[in-house]
Amino acid sequence: MRTFTREELRKYTGGDGGPVYFAYRGKVYDASESWHWRGGKHQVLHAAGEDLTESLGAAPHGEDLLARLPVIGALVD
Amino acid sequence: MAKVAREMVEKAGVNVDELLELLVSNAAAELTTFYYYTILRVNLIGLEGEGVKSIAEDARIEDRNHFEALVPRIYELGGKLPDDMKQFHDISACPPANLPKDPSDTKALLKVLLDAERCAVRGYTNICNITAGKDHRTYELALAILHEEIEHEAWFSEFLGEGPSGHFGRRTPGESPFVSKFLHP
Repeated sequence: MRTFTREELRKYTGGDGGPVYFAYRGKVYDASESWHWRGGKHQVLHAAGEDLTESLGAAPHGEDLLARLPVIGALVD
Repeated sequence: MAKVAREMVEKAGVNVDELLELLVSNAAAELTTFYYYTILRVNLIGLEGEGVKSIAEDARIEDRNHFEALVPRIYELGGKLPDDMKQFHDISACPPANLPKDPSDTKALLKVLLDAERCAVRGYTNICNITAGKDHRTYELALAILHEEIEHEAWFSEFLGEGPSGHFGRRTPGESPFVSKFLHP
């Protein structure tokens, strides 16, 4: 499986119509096709290209919704 | 804009510009849902569709009421609706509640309705979480809308066999028992 450093992940913010990736608990998810991640932002508050592990705790949904997105890699330090 | 009203919210630590983006995107979700629910509602036909008509109609009208209730608060906080309605549609907080490929499939229609309500429940829970104890007026408004969205979710999930909603019917179509106090006659 492909690995991403945090610096590499920051390239995938959806800018210029590019891929939309984010990390959660060490996995990198591809949200490019997700309606909820249009333009690389989710519900105004969350940006792609980041590790959102801590953010999910405050979200009005659980990690079960992430199962809808393909995992395309792992986040490494 | 209500200048001091906005200042109070900022002083309490809320990012008002972010809050406004959320309110506008959720207002967009309400108005677009009203539109898409109109199409879903007219396609609830036949014996199967008949049983769902009245709750679909109540949810449709109440979602329009939610849009109406949100607009004043957006402007009070210094925000605005987009000038272009097409742009407004595209910033909706929730996906379009499109008619399924087979409009005669009542279960598929119900699934669309249910998914739309669940998106709204999450959206207003988020706004309540952000504003609780800090922006009392937006919190009251978001909470009132949340009450009704939860009821909408429960109605549709009951029809999909997820157990009793526990609710009784509206006394009048689109009654909005929680949001009506924010609407001006």
